[in-house]
Amino acid sequence: MTQSGFFSVGYYIGLSYEGGKRMKSKQSVFLVLMIFALIAALSACAKKNVPPPPGYGAAGQEYGAAAGGGPMDEAKWRELGINSEAEKREFLDKAKVFENQDVYFDYDAYTLTEPAKKVLDEKMAFLKRFPRVAVTIEGHCDERGTTEYNIALGERRANAAQQYILNSNSSNLKLTTVSYGKERPVASGHDEASYAKNRRAHFVLNY
Amino acid sequence: MSHRSYFRTARVFSILFLVLILLGLAQTVSAVVELQISPSAIQRIPIAVPDFKYMTPEQSQLAREMSDVLSNDLNISGVFRPLDRKGFLEDPQVMGLEASEIKFQDWSRQGADFLARCSYQVQGNSIRLDGRLFDVAGRKIVGAPKSYSGELRAWRQMVHAFADDIMLMLTGERGVFDTKIAYVQNVGTAKEIFYCDFDGYNPVQVTRDNNIALSPSWSPDQSQIAFVSYRDGFPKVYGVNVSNNSRYLISGFPGMNITPAWRPGRNELAVTLTKDGGQDIYLVSPTGQVIRKFGVGFGSSISVSPDWSPDGQKFAYVSNESGNPQIYTFDVSTGQKKRLTFSGNYNTSPAWSPKGDWIAYSGREGGEFDIFIIRPDGSENHSLTHGSRNEGPCWSPDGRMIAYSSNKQGGSAIRVMYSNGTGDWQLTRQSGAQELPDWSPRRNRQ
Repeated sequence: MTQSGFFSVGYYIGLSYEGGKRMKSKQSVFLVLMIFALIAALSACAKKNVPPPPGYGAAGQEYGAAAGGGPMDEAKWRELGINSEAEKREFLDKAKVFENQDVYFDYDAYTLTEPAKKVLDEKMAFLKRFPRVAVTIEGHCDERGTTEYNIALGERRANAAQQYILNSNSSNLKLTTVSYGKERPVASGHDEASYAKNRRAHFVLNY
Repeated sequence: MSHRSYFRTARVFSILFLVLILLGLAQTVSAVVELQISPSAIQRIPIAVPDFKYMTPEQSQLAREMSDVLSNDLNISGVFRPLDRKGFLEDPQVMGLEASEIKFQDWSRQGADFLARCSYQVQGNSIRLDGRLFDVAGRKIVGAPKSYSGELRAWRQMVHAFADDIMLMLTGERGVFDTKIAYVQNVGTAKEIFYCDFDGYNPVQVTRDNNIALSPSWSPDQSQIAFVSYRDGFPKVYGVNVSNNSRYLISGFPGMNITPAWRPGRNELAVTLTKDGGQDIYLVSPTGQVIRKFGVGFGSSISVSPDWSPDGQKFAYVSNESGNPQIYTFDVSTGQKKRLTFSGNYNTSPAWSPKGDWIAYSGREGGEFDIFIIRPDGSENHSLTHGSRNEGPCWSPDGRMIAYSSNKQGGSAIRVMYSNGTGDWQLTRQSGAQELPDWSPRRNRQ
């Protein structure tokens, strides 16, 4: 950081942008504050140490370890209701399609379009066939707009996709949602084609 | 100044005078008067900051460095104009420290209204700094001599403390020179929480999770930072004690836990949660007990990014219940919700000023994002920046400055401007993009 950079910063700036009128009407208050300030300054202990910050509040729970997946064994396949090699192959083939096909949204929107509903119907067919598999629905946004609002928007997208499935499926599905906002784009361009790919609900199978 | 207000001021002055004489403090009056008789304050106050005098031979290079830091502080304050030390006549290592030794006439000729004269001595790992502020026209010291001591490596903090005292003596309000600015920085593909001094120095990395960390928020006593991390796979709100880096979970409810905002004066935070299905803003304790659900959510609408008024009685937040993101305020005692912004169709990231008189936010106009400010009653809405991506504003605790993220110099960096939109300098110079700044409150001093 250069010193000259700071020194060139606007020398002739007022104390505040309150106009002269406001200043006058506040003068007596200002003077009283001035007296307090002077008293405070002069009565302040002459020797000061720069203190370390004090503790604050009660410390809560420590971080937990992140959950990790493991290799698939026969027991895990059986948990998914898959008992034969043929079923395994069927699952893996359909899983690929299931995970690769995203549900797309319009800009700053989380209502489901007709094409989006069509994709979700295909997802439901898969979940009807393999209802025991755990699914994470990720909500994503394009890079336009602010970080925090996009996290909130992505949550609504994932939630909309989840609700659509839950509304028309009576079985006990293991669905969770997570929003990444604009933090995990799939297309890195700065054009509408990339934006459109990034405004999505992405399905991930946890098996 | 009208005659009436002149006489009123004169009367107040005479009372002030009496009070000060009674307290035996009459010596300090002229400095105060100096400011009072130029209320328009269009110009900055010229101040001379010669090199500090080293009383022991150790660390003599600090003589210039410390003077640079003090000058920089006073310049950033927006109140002072440090004079170019090339014009100074005396050798700062020979020049005296007491009023009787100061050649006030020389300083006056060089245009200085005030003179900051400091010395320091180093003993092993500790340093003691002595500072005096002189009123050049009055030929006397302002206030009492100040003294600071501590570890040698904390010398910048001591210089900042003297700058704070100068601000206090001359404006009645401490500066913000002991404050920190927290922000998010890209590290590889991860985002981590950092903080630095108000002047950009001493960057400290807080998280090393190699994941997504967002939305730092300082506690009112500057000891903790609440933030969001995805390290467990889902966004949860954590806290970290910045002095020992110990971390704890604040809010880890099922669903989304984001945008923490520590409530001024209370050990409570506002957060956005989806634990009950829809998005809403909740009040939680630092250990995650829900104190209150504010009920600002509306059907499947978005409610996010709360930011408290300085009295902790209201918060501003973002809702899209009108169809697109707008700034709203919520009064926690009356339960009243009010839409604040009506101009533009993408207004986010509200930040309530520490004096309560403005709310800054990030608004889109055309394809560009700018920092806007608006009165809490919805009036005087105007932009402070012009063009590119300017987002995530936050206020310095004295309300004089706004930090924000901007890509005007290429990659996203934290910049600071005066709250009237002038000034503007880059705070962070590390590689990797920086965003989402949060300016700490002042530290409590004994």
